[in-house]
Amino acid sequence: MLVLLVVLSLLLLTAYFGESPSGRLHGVQRAFLTVVSPIQNGANKALKPVRDTIGWFGDTLNAKGQRDKLKRENNALRKQLVAEQGEKTSLRQLQALYHLDQLGAGEYHPVTATVVGKSPNIWYSTVTIDAGSNAGVHVDDPVVNGEGLVGKVAQVASDGAYVDLITDSSMGVSARLGKSTATGIVQPKVGEPGDLLLQYLPSTTQPNRGEFVVTSGTVASPDDSLYPPGLLIGQVTSVNEETGFKSVNVRPAVNLQNLDIVQVLTSSAGSRAAGIASLAEQLPAGKGDAGTEAGAEQYASAGGGG
Amino acid sequence: MSSGGSASLPLRLAAMLVLVTFVQVGVISEIPVFGVNADLSPLLVAFVGLLCGSTVGATYGFATGLLVDLLLLQTLGLSSLIFTLVGYFCGRVRELRDPQAALTPLLVGAAAVAASLVGYSLMEFMLGVDAPVSLELLRQIVLVTLVDAIIAVPLWLLVRAWLESALPDDPRRRRRRRRAYTTGGLSPLSRS
Repeated sequence: MLVLLVVLSLLLLTAYFGESPSGRLHGVQRAFLTVVSPIQNGANKALKPVRDTIGWFGDTLNAKGQRDKLKRENNALRKQLVAEQGEKTSLRQLQALYHLDQLGAGEYHPVTATVVGKSPNIWYSTVTIDAGSNAGVHVDDPVVNGEGLVGKVAQVASDGAYVDLITDSSMGVSARLGKSTATGIVQPKVGEPGDLLLQYLPSTTQPNRGEFVVTSGTVASPDDSLYPPGLLIGQVTSVNEETGFKSVNVRPAVNLQNLDIVQVLTSSAGSRAAGIASLAEQLPAGKGDAGTEAGAEQYASAGGGG
Repeated sequence: MSSGGSASLPLRLAAMLVLVTFVQVGVISEIPVFGVNADLSPLLVAFVGLLCGSTVGATYGFATGLLVDLLLLQTLGLSSLIFTLVGYFCGRVRELRDPQAALTPLLVGAAAVAASLVGYSLMEFMLGVDAPVSLELLRQIVLVTLVDAIIAVPLWLLVRAWLESALPDDPRRRRRRRRAYTTGGLSPLSRS
């Protein structure tokens, strides 16, 4: 019996690992999600009081420390806001000039969803949400909440979807440092769910502790970033010196341990990738660097099977 | 042992699997303790092996792994493989040693969790990891094992209470019988 079950597991593992995300076993997972998502939604609602009660104790303990920290952040952000008002005006003019506004967050239609399940596994950072293809959700749609970027949609069923969080080992997001134009790839560090790594920054970059890291949303080639530009990913906590490149450790802005309501940024009509591709053809040439970074993001995301 | 009791065992096991998996995904996974989440699945598989033996333990491990992989979009077959082995070896512990100490569920549960986490990590490395892996992973494994060890005994009591009446050969009953004979109690033969 043991041998039979082990062989069966190995067969499943081999077949699943070898097939594409549109393969038969992935299809079984999607079908399973379609079947269980109504049950999961019901169970989530029934168990919410239990979760809230337990969560209340933890929240109360953390509240005091968070209040002091937020006061300090609020003061710093107020100063920053004043300084950036002028830059915002210039940015609007530049976006209009290059038609970049067509790819901003306004291009996306947010679909609000509730998180109904979360993986306990330290190797997989995924959550299940209660919105699927019926609500217009597609694979690879970005997922955000009020704090910043949460992740992207990995699989979709009719009334539910799996979301890979930014800390999932399959993720890679093209990002830039807030105060500079230096871009790199944000990847998770397996084993450290509260820490991300912004890699491949040019060696000339001078990152500062506390600096914001946002999605770069590069728009120069057909295989572009999945994420609109300017979504907050996190803040720099430390800088690592490496040969050739620099990398920085980033603390995610979103509290991924406590997700409840999220928004899926769905595209308006048809495939967003196709929309980006057609628009990219209209853009002037000479943005090869950005295209390389976006390609690296695609590579990093696709590499893990996501 | 009643035949009705044996027949209800698969039903009780299935009901427990579904209930615990949904509670895990919907509640436990959203409550961090020391920065990690408790994982009930390996504990459950270990306790079923410890109560029901290696064959049932391995089968239950396979079913649990399959459900977890399907429900959480994980690599299909990976959890099945690990939980099958965990269930089997916990069942063998019962068959070979039949431990009765009060700390048995805690020790077996912690060992099962640690083995499943290490096994999972090894398999992930073998399959290829795209992201950098931190040494903090070891700390995570230790923390999850400790958190699971804390909840092991209460979970064991619940699992045993739920399955006890359906078990074909309950170790506690067997122990009570053995104690009755050795302390001067009458055997069924001498009574008749």
